[in-house]
Amino acid sequence: MRRLAAVVILLIATSALADEVNVFAAASLSDALQEITARYEKSSGDRVVFNFGASSMLARQIENGAPADLFLSADEAKIDRLASQKLILTSTRVSPLSNTLVIVGTTPMKSPRELTKLRVAIAEPSTVPSGVYAHDWLTKLGLWREIEPHVIPTDNVRAALATVEAGNADAAIVYATDARLAKRVRVIYTVPRAEGPKIAYAFAVVAGAEHERAARRFLLYLQSGAAKNIFTRYGFLTR
Amino acid sequence: MTIELRNVVLPLAHFTLAVDVQMPARTTGIFGPSGAGKTSLLELIAGLRTPKAGRVVIDGRDVTDLPPRDRRIGYVPQDDALFPHLSVKQNVLYGAHNADDAVLDVLEIRHLLPRGVNQLSGGERKRVALARALLSHPDVLLLDEPLAGVDVELRNRVLQYLVRIRDEFPIPMLYVSHDIEEVRAICEAVVRIERGRAGVG
Amino acid sequence: MSAGEAGILFLTLRTAALATIVILAPGLAIAWLLARRRWRGKSIVETLVALPLVMPPVATGLILLELFGRRGPLGFLKIAFSWRAVVVAMAVMSFPLLVRAARVAFEEVNPRFEQIARTLGAGEWRVFATITLPLARRGIVSGALLAFARALGEFGATILVAGNIPGRTSTLSLSIYNLVQLGRDGDAFRLLGWSVALAFAAVWIAEVVVRRKSA
Repeated sequence: MRRLAAVVILLIATSALADEVNVFAAASLSDALQEITARYEKSSGDRVVFNFGASSMLARQIENGAPADLFLSADEAKIDRLASQKLILTSTRVSPLSNTLVIVGTTPMKSPRELTKLRVAIAEPSTVPSGVYAHDWLTKLGLWREIEPHVIPTDNVRAALATVEAGNADAAIVYATDARLAKRVRVIYTVPRAEGPKIAYAFAVVAGAEHERAARRFLLYLQSGAAKNIFTRYGFLTR
Repeated sequence: MTIELRNVVLPLAHFTLAVDVQMPARTTGIFGPSGAGKTSLLELIAGLRTPKAGRVVIDGRDVTDLPPRDRRIGYVPQDDALFPHLSVKQNVLYGAHNADDAVLDVLEIRHLLPRGVNQLSGGERKRVALARALLSHPDVLLLDEPLAGVDVELRNRVLQYLVRIRDEFPIPMLYVSHDIEEVRAICEAVVRIERGRAGVG
Repeated sequence: MSAGEAGILFLTLRTAALATIVILAPGLAIAWLLARRRWRGKSIVETLVALPLVMPPVATGLILLELFGRRGPLGFLKIAFSWRAVVVAMAVMSFPLLVRAARVAFEEVNPRFEQIARTLGAGEWRVFATITLPLARRGIVSGALLAFARALGEFGATILVAGNIPGRTSTLSLSIYNLVQLGRDGDAFRLLGWSVALAFAAVWIAEVVVRRKSA
């Protein structure tokens, strides 16, 4: 409660002019962020403009000069890559969120070994965070090589979900938070925390951002109690 | 006024035009059979073609390297070439600074001015093409078969207009035709041309 | 139509219109040179102009990204991933269509009329403006409309150099792609309807223009 008050006071103090923030955010965050932003815009007066997509694609766009103010990545690796090119303000870097990997489909699954017989949709396993997490997990289990030929790679995690919902795949590996929004499939297997990869979202303000102050404000808000409550409600794990 | 083609050489489809001729007097006819090179000759003088060798001299001025717009010639081609997208008035005034009433009256085209080009008869087209060339105040008028494609009944009338121009305006004319009667009716001197060779006759 | 859809529609129309306007002068100039002049290296110019028509659009997009991206020689212009990049991609992809149509239109103008105009004292600019251009008008307008229609549907080059940023660079075709990816088929089909309607209108008007002026 006190933290919330502090944040609110900070917001009122710093929002002299209504500003615009360009936020590039991982696709898996889209629904939670839109609800959080609806509140934020009312209290701060700022306008938040989102560009949702695979963190890998967003990172590449930032490398090529896309006008992002804030980058919310689904893994640390993309932020590391930008940091090494001095494209983010490292002092603003935080990792407040985590997620769980699940398999969605229509028929119940007892063991991930069953994936070897199914067509499974995964976000591009070499670059997109949810795909990388899935690939690392299956490799650890020694199953990747058998599963790989049946993998349908997609542009981002939401596309993987859409693919299995449309019936173009038998299963998909997505985040628990995405699975909640599924209409035609459900979670048939949850990757145990101990067994699964360490999932950590990383957020940072982009270097040379046109709206740096507004970006910092919003980033601060994303770590507030109110925002965390919303994230938790959508199934994210918060620190 | 003299127009000279000094050792001019121009390769054509079936032969090479090679002429070295002086064309004197006010009204000179260029006479020869079809395909003899008459039109090409006129185009050389107008600047629409460049000779492979030789010089074109108009009234003492070497114009060989000058573009058509600097040669001060008025060219009336065989097919009239009236601009289809402009009115008669716009056609006639295209090269003019002001509308010379005398020209409009001599050629009797004043009533045609508001019309579109496709509303003219064959004879009317000829007169408009003539007026257009005259109104640009050229030093010499180049006429390519002015009576070609004109009905027999109209020929005399158009011929009369040409005579009127010859008499009312002190402008030299080069008159190309394959019809010797025509040429004799208008011209004071004749240049014969045959298969690319010309001579004063 | 929702506000979002209207936004996408107007973004697409605005950028396509701007792209068409931008290529008009250079396109007509090059078309005229190709139609009326001969010079050494002319075939190189012809080939370069035709390239975007023949190369895969994404290949062209990659070249544009290398040029206009942050690390590229024109990166200082900060064009990549903005609406300006959309206009650039559309302009590049539509350019050959305009040049082709305009070139044919200029070639069909009887050089006789231009010659006569010159004998009447007109300089080259006057000949072009009063004779060549008006007589080539039909083909040029048709070419410009085709270029516009092509710009409306641009995807491959656009997605690489402009990205798919909602509200900024997300054109009709990019939005359809996005919606399909997200499984929002209903919304995708609505945008598809608009896409077809716009393309139909553009091409139909082009045909009408051609037919009317031949009267």
